[in-house]
Amino acid sequence: MRRLALPVALVGGIVLLALAAPLLPLADPVTQDVARRLAGPMPGNPLGRDEFGRDVLSRLVWGARSSLAVAFASGAIACACGTILGLLGGWFRGLGELLAVRSMDVVLCFPPVLLALLAVTLLGPGAATLILVLSVLYLPGFVRVTYAEVLSARNHDYVEAVRALGASTPRILGRTVLPNIAGPVLVQLSLAVASAVVLESGLSFLGLGVVPPAPSWGLMIRGARATMAQAPLMLLWPCIALTFTILAMNLLCDRLRDAVDPRGAPARRRLRLVDRVLPGLLPAPSPPHGEALLALHDLTIEIATPRGAIRPVEEVSLSVPPGETLAIVGESGSGKSLTATAIMGLLPDAARVVAGAAWFEGRDLLRLDEKARRSLRGGAIAMIFQDPMSSLNPVHRVGDQVAEAIRAHQRVSPREAAARAVALLRRVGIADPARRARSYPHQLSGGMRQRVMIAMAIANRPRLLIADEPTTALDVTVQAQILELLADLRRETGMGLVFITHNLGVVAEIADSVAVMYAGQVVEQGRVAEVFGTPRHPYTRALLAAVPEGEAPPSGIPGVVPQPHAYPRGCRFAPRCPHAAAVCETPPPLEQLGDRQLRCLRHAELGAAAGIAA
Amino acid sequence: MSALLEAEGLSKIFGARGLFGRGRPVQAVRDVSITIGRAEAVGVVGESGSGKSTLGRLLLGLTPASAGAIRFDGQSFATMRRAEWRRLRRRMQIVFQDPFGSLDPRRRVGSQIADGIAIHRLSPPSERTQRVAALLRQVGLDPAHAERFPHEFSGGQRQRIGIARALATGPDFLVADEPVSALDVSIQAQVLTLLAELRASLGLAMVFISHDLPVVRHLCDRVVVMYLGRVMEEGAAEAVFRRAAHPYTRALLSATPRLDGARRTRRILLPGDPPSPADPPSGCVFRTRCAHAAPRCAEGVPALREFDGRRVACVRAEEIGVPAPAPPDA
Repeated sequence: MRRLALPVALVGGIVLLALAAPLLPLADPVTQDVARRLAGPMPGNPLGRDEFGRDVLSRLVWGARSSLAVAFASGAIACACGTILGLLGGWFRGLGELLAVRSMDVVLCFPPVLLALLAVTLLGPGAATLILVLSVLYLPGFVRVTYAEVLSARNHDYVEAVRALGASTPRILGRTVLPNIAGPVLVQLSLAVASAVVLESGLSFLGLGVVPPAPSWGLMIRGARATMAQAPLMLLWPCIALTFTILAMNLLCDRLRDAVDPRGAPARRRLRLVDRVLPGLLPAPSPPHGEALLALHDLTIEIATPRGAIRPVEEVSLSVPPGETLAIVGESGSGKSLTATAIMGLLPDAARVVAGAAWFEGRDLLRLDEKARRSLRGGAIAMIFQDPMSSLNPVHRVGDQVAEAIRAHQRVSPREAAARAVALLRRVGIADPARRARSYPHQLSGGMRQRVMIAMAIANRPRLLIADEPTTALDVTVQAQILELLADLRRETGMGLVFITHNLGVVAEIADSVAVMYAGQVVEQGRVAEVFGTPRHPYTRALLAAVPEGEAPPSGIPGVVPQPHAYPRGCRFAPRCPHAAAVCETPPPLEQLGDRQLRCLRHAELGAAAGIAA
Repeated sequence: MSALLEAEGLSKIFGARGLFGRGRPVQAVRDVSITIGRAEAVGVVGESGSGKSTLGRLLLGLTPASAGAIRFDGQSFATMRRAEWRRLRRRMQIVFQDPFGSLDPRRRVGSQIADGIAIHRLSPPSERTQRVAALLRQVGLDPAHAERFPHEFSGGQRQRIGIARALATGPDFLVADEPVSALDVSIQAQVLTLLAELRASLGLAMVFISHDLPVVRHLCDRVVVMYLGRVMEEGAAEAVFRRAAHPYTRALLSATPRLDGARRTRRILLPGDPPSPADPPSGCVFRTRCAHAAPRCAEGVPALREFDGRRVACVRAEEIGVPAPAPPDA
């Protein structure tokens, strides 16, 4: 709202000045004094006199009156009529749509100047004629904007909800639809008023608008043009007034659009120079260890926000042995997807890795330069996403996209790549692959698109596949097919699989080991059978109890996952934990207990109480 | 006592005009008959394209049916006047799936909850604030939240607000369209528990639409399984869940990933994708993906008939038989 202050003050100032014209100590704008025509600035006439010896300043201010009055009046009339027509057309569709929208298309076909000429010929020149012409000209813009907004608003559930409540149509339109489309309409209004000021001047300049001797900016420009050689300044003043008004209006438009957009301006992190030049300032990497294909060590990600830096991922350590599946499971806001994007080097601009290492075949993925990363991505490490529609290019055939993925990493002829693409599509279980290769993504079902994504991912025999919620958008029967396919592929190629999901049942189906994440941290990690069989962290236990399975009705966990800027100081689950005690005020470390890792200070007591050997 | 809502032979065909261009008409719901008793909870289960959401809207009269008749408490939808409709609206409400799209982002939640009260003039304006506070408390929220805007709430809390809005008019019939599928599992269970409690305390009749059979199992008395606009199986929730008779119900159950993989019967993998609702197979709509399909499945649309204490639309139900009851889970 503060950003609106300047443009509102500017536009308000101009309007006030115009309104106050009769009160200001100005000379009469129409009194002629031919003796002093084209006189320069002098006391009493700071801007000089025009070709009839009239005071220019006075004419400028009075001219603003007629210019702005015409602009605001026509803008307001067009806005009111256009919004009503658009509302009716968008809401009732059918005949209303035809009348409201198609008739506007007809208006759009008229050249504005011709329309003005016609109206002036019929009605005679004058401000009223101008208002009529301009409102007709701006009407289609309002109708179209309103119509389009209503069409999208009427599909919202909250509109349906008010209908279900039994509200009358005027009530729905007035109280629910109108406030939600007001933003774009307001922006359209300020645009229309700004361009009406220009058009009014243009039409008056042509002699189609305000009738002399009444002052108007267009008439002033017209008069000054004739005496341009003798008094060039006369031309300058109305032009400055016009330009300044338009700029103020446009600024108001821009700010208004920002103000009505609830998402606000996107916050981008300013990349520090030191981070760009010397990324090595990160903590020194420790040597790789163990047999793991991927070993993630203490990954911490920081995002700079307007409320300060947050750490949505903190000290996450994972390891994936070759040929095994690690599931990362957690609710939304647990940081599981961010972890995967960090491994792929695809973090959004605002996020950066502040600590940790990701060892993959002797190299730290987090410290590779972009070139080395690119050669790994889609090659040795591949990724599939939740929404295959937005990950596939809608304008290319899927076969070409798979072939493209092959040729990005291997030197093969286009013909060879196309043949391999068909073979890959067959491998991922697409029936009639040669024909399907020529389809576009929108012609395929969700399950088939996900199969295409998998074909692209395995095109270069990756040794690690990262799957981010690959089945969440699919129906369960299709999900079962995809899970089966991924398990087959893993057995066949021996690749490691990192599987990110919020569905515990899927974890039990597909994974060898599991990392349970909560609020940016791993809270429990181990073999799936053990972790799900004897969960030791209260969160894991609560999560399992919330799954609708078995005889007992599912039980929820009270409260919600905390936001990253409001993480509790101690154990992050403590506020929702039934076993929280005073000791939970201190941050628990991730302890290694045999095969299991656990982040709970009370696990020994709780385990003893539950009859589990510590 | 008669049923609260009776629907017979309901069909909904979305025309070739509009969204689907000049393509074939989409038969979203075909020949569905359903009755809902007073205070009864019925689960409608199916995958995308099964017509379950369309059925929910038909039952509320939010979408006009292409064929069939619906009676709510003895009143026929077809002959009702506008004023009668508005009176009836008070008694039937809906809860939506998307907790973000279902609330008006520009109005305070208290005023949105009060909408229903104001529209039907259920209490004088002076008492509305108290009524809204009571509703918020009823769904487990703080009455002070009435002054906030929807974006200040989490998904689960928004869903509670949506429920409070639906309860504001004191309905006796509620359609919940996938009310928990957009929520995290820990929140899902909270909302399910809330709905179960409200149902018990208010005596609400409920149609609970979901793609997930286990979710409806504990909440619903009866389950209707739909596929491509038709009812495949209908019966008591426990019977359908434990001893599914229709091959589709069985495939659906076995495809649901389970925590305890060992306990599950061998997975039935359905081949291919569901056919398009614009071009459904002849005869039994499921036969193109059914492991038990036989030539006579193509001969005619199988009627929904009594079988083993429930209703099944499968001509081979006897031959396929009913599986032995699954052992109770530990």
